[in-house]
Order: sequence, then structure tokens, then C-alpha cells
Amino acid sequence: MGGGGNQIVTGTGFWSMGGYARYVWPCFAFAGMILGWNLWSARRYRVAAQLRARRALEAAETDRAAPTVVTIPRTAGGKA
Amino acid sequence: MSVGPCEAFALVVRRELRLSFRRPDQLLQPLVFFLIVTTLFPLGLSLQLSLLRDMAPGVLWVAALLSSLLSLDSLFKSDADDGTLEQLALCGQGLTVIVVAKTFAHWLVTGLALVLVSPVVGTALGIPGSVFATMMLSLGLGTLTLSWLGAIGAGLTVGLKRGNVLLSLIVLPLAMPLLIFGAGATDRAISGVSAAGALYFLAALCVFTCTLAPFAATAALHITLE
Amino acid sequence: MWTWFYKLASPPYVYGTAAALAPWFLGLAAIAIGYGVVDGLVFAPPDYQQGDAFRIIYVHVPSAWLSLFAYVSMAVAAAIALIWRIKMGHAVAAASAPIGASFTLLALATGSLWGRPMWGTFWAWDPRLTSELILLFLYVGVMSLRSAFEDPARGDRAAALLALVGVVNVPIIHFSVVWWNSLHQGATVAKFGKPTMAASMLWPLLSMALGFMLFYGAVLCMRLQGEVLNRERQAKWVAEAIKS
Repeated sequence: MGGGGNQIVTGTGFWSMGGYARYVWPCFAFAGMILGWNLWSARRYRVAAQLRARRALEAAETDRAAPTVVTIPRTAGGKA
Repeated sequence: MSVGPCEAFALVVRRELRLSFRRPDQLLQPLVFFLIVTTLFPLGLSLQLSLLRDMAPGVLWVAALLSSLLSLDSLFKSDADDGTLEQLALCGQGLTVIVVAKTFAHWLVTGLALVLVSPVVGTALGIPGSVFATMMLSLGLGTLTLSWLGAIGAGLTVGLKRGNVLLSLIVLPLAMPLLIFGAGATDRAISGVSAAGALYFLAALCVFTCTLAPFAATAALHITLE
Repeated sequence: MWTWFYKLASPPYVYGTAAALAPWFLGLAAIAIGYGVVDGLVFAPPDYQQGDAFRIIYVHVPSAWLSLFAYVSMAVAAAIALIWRIKMGHAVAAASAPIGASFTLLALATGSLWGRPMWGTFWAWDPRLTSELILLFLYVGVMSLRSAFEDPARGDRAAALLALVGVVNVPIIHFSVVWWNSLHQGATVAKFGKPTMAASMLWPLLSMALGFMLFYGAVLCMRLQGEVLNRERQAKWVAEAIKS
């Protein structure tokens, strides 16, 4: 690797990828996007599930503490 | 009085055929769709007959695929809706025999009908008469395989609200290898090369599917009908 | 002997294990992918025929392998769920599907971008590309079927059956380059015998592949936690697990 490590990375040779830059770099960019999307989506899914579970538990607790009793009012009657 | 599986099969097939012929318009709809779709391609592409011939096997097969899909919805749906399917499942013969009989009857009235109509369509698309035997054989094997793939899809989607679209979404990817080899067989016959290889592969696909699909379709119905 | 197997069936165990493993998988994946990218982009020598364009291999092949691996995992989990009626199998299958689908998309996209300079076309209807596309459709079909049912348990079972029916496609994809005359390159690594790729090019590829698998493990664990919670919302252990 003549010329030292620096030249490989910072020289125009690296970024142009031997002329194939417009194929190589979008591929890696797309890969990064897919990896990022997977992380973001999985995290979002987990958080939403935890939220839903928390809400369900709270609803069950309030129900247990003060159960909703439905009273059906007796109507004055159909008979006039 | 106990009925053996073969008699049960024959009874169910006879019932299906009788029900189908009671409504001849429903029987003709997939066929008419087949004819219409095959007409769309030449109209849309306005090709000369000689050029159309190159596309003909593909067009034929896509049309056969789509019209088969249309009729698949009715495979289990009406019986599931009025509870007949559950009764059949409980009758002691095992659901598999029923499924095999229903699918076979379905193929008789749709797939076989397509095969018999295909020479007419083939002529309209410019397929030479010498190729008709290969074409009809490939279509016959292909539609049988397709009926079975469709039975799996129909079993999975019976009772779903917009099951029709989902059925196509499920069945079409599974049917793609079929399309490749089916159209390939006719294509090869048209260009004069031996279509034997493609036909053997089609037959293998057909045997594979006909052997395993009944169990998959029955399992699907058990899942969706419980 | 089977206690470990039945432990896997216990939702709190699965949830806890997934929570514990995810950061480890992610850390190791970052290392493997980091090394793979640097070594593959900077230090691997350019290919004799393809020049620097061959470096697309470092994202294309790992994502293609992962697309198959994720589908097989999904199918195995589905089989376990259907045969032994272990609901956690459905959770794993449901978690795998979107991950596998995204990597199938990546494989198709990177393959397409690689095909343009190499074969002159963005797409060709050749057996491997076509069967990989079918794999994407199968993923979408499984996910759509699962969500179409009002009863989630029924949706899980139907999707599991469909995943198993579609698993036939996986060997077709892998062997398509052997069975048919294909435009796509034949097997150079995943075959019997020594790989025919130069070592300096091979190591970053293996590292990227390992990194992607570990990444799949990490994201699977994260999604799995969500899937387990959705299926076990009312269970007693959930209260403790959420508070932590």
C-alpha cells in the first residue's frame, strides 16, 4: 500500500471507487438506511407494546379498586 | 351405513358438479374473463399476428392464471357461509377427502374448461395448430397445480372480509414457477425445440403439489373454521 | 433434557432473555459490521474484473443471506408453534417477518445497482433474481395474512401455515444458479469445498455476514419483546417486567 494510509482514505481515489461511485455509495447508504429503519421500527414497536400493556394494567387496577357498577334505572313504566 | 372414502369422494364431486351446473352463468364467467383478458393484450399492444405469436404463450398463461384466481373464491366460501363445510368436516370422512373432492370438481369446471377453450384463444393469438397438444397439456397440468395452490389460499382466507385480494397476493407468488415453466413449454414448442423438459418439470410440480397441498389446505381450513 | 426447550415456551423467560441479549447482539454486530465496512472498503484489493464495484458484495451478499436466514427462522418458529402449540413460536415468526422483508428489499436494491455496471441492466428475469423477488412477495403475503384476521391467534396460525408453504422457495433461490443457466454468479462461498474467493476479500465479507446475523438477532430480540407483550398483556408477570 504505497503512499501511506492517509492517501488511501482522503485521496479522490477512495471516494470515486474506481469510477463506480454512483453505484457503490448508494448501496452502502441504502444498507445504512435499512439498518437504521430496523432499529427505529423495532424500538418503536417495543415502546408501543409496553405502553399498551401499561395502560391495560392500569385499567385492570382501577377496575379492581372501584368496579364500575351499572345500574339500570327503573322507568316509571310503560303503563301510563 | 358407512361410506368409504372413494364413495365419499365421488359423492362430493357429483354434488359440486350439480351445484355448479345449476348456475351456468357463474360457470361461464371465468371462461369469458379468460377470453376478454387474452383480447386485451393484442388490443393494447396492437402487434401483428407474427409478433403476437412470440408473446402468445405468456399471454395465455397470465390470462389462465387470473381467471383461475377469480373462480377460487367460490371454492369454500359458499359452503363455509351456510355451515355446510363444518357439517362436511364432521361427517366422519375427514376433511381431506372433502377438500380433494371439492378441488378436483373445481378444476373440472374451471381448469379443464380453460384447457378445452384454449385452442380457440391460441388461434386468436397466432399459436400454430401443431403446438396445440403441448399447449393443452401444459395448461392442463398447470391449472391442476393452480387449483391446488388456490385451495391452500382459499382455505387460509375463507371468511375474511376482503379475502379476494389477499388470496391473489398469496397464490400468485407461489404460482410464479408454474408460469415460468408452463409458458416456457409452449414457447419451446413454438420455436421448434423439444418441450419435453419443461413438460416433465410441470408434471413434477403438479405431482408435488397434488400430493402435499391437500394436507396444507385441510390444515388451513382447520385453522380458519375453528 | 427438554427443559431448555420448554423454558423457551415460557413468555416471561423469552421476554427477559430477549431484553438481556439485545444490547449484546447489537454491540457485537456493530463491531463486526464496523470492521467489515472498513476492511472491505479500504483495505481489500480491487477485483481483477470488476474493479471497485465488487465492494457492493459487502452489503449485497450479507443481506441476501439474511433474507433467506430470516425466512427459514420464521418457518422453523412457525413449525414449532403449529406442531407443539408453543405460542412463543408465533411471536418469533411475527417478529422475523418485517426484518426479513426489509433485507430482501436491500438485497434486491443493491443487486440491481450492482447489475447496472456489471451486466448493463438494472434487472433481469433470471432464476435467482426472480425467486428472490418471489421471496419478498411471500414475506408481504405472510404479514398481510397475519394482520387480516380479527382474532390474532387465528391470524398467527394462518400466517404460520403460509410461511411453511412458502419455504419451498428458499432452496430454489439457493440452487437456482446451479440448476439453471443464470446470469447471476454461481456459488463461491456457500458451497462444499474451499471458497474460491481471495482471503483478503473473504474476511470482510464473512465479518459483514456475521455482523448482519448478529444485527438480526438484536432487532429480533427487540421486536420479540413487543410481540410477547402484545400476546400476553393480561398476564401477571407483565406488571413486574414493565416496571423494570
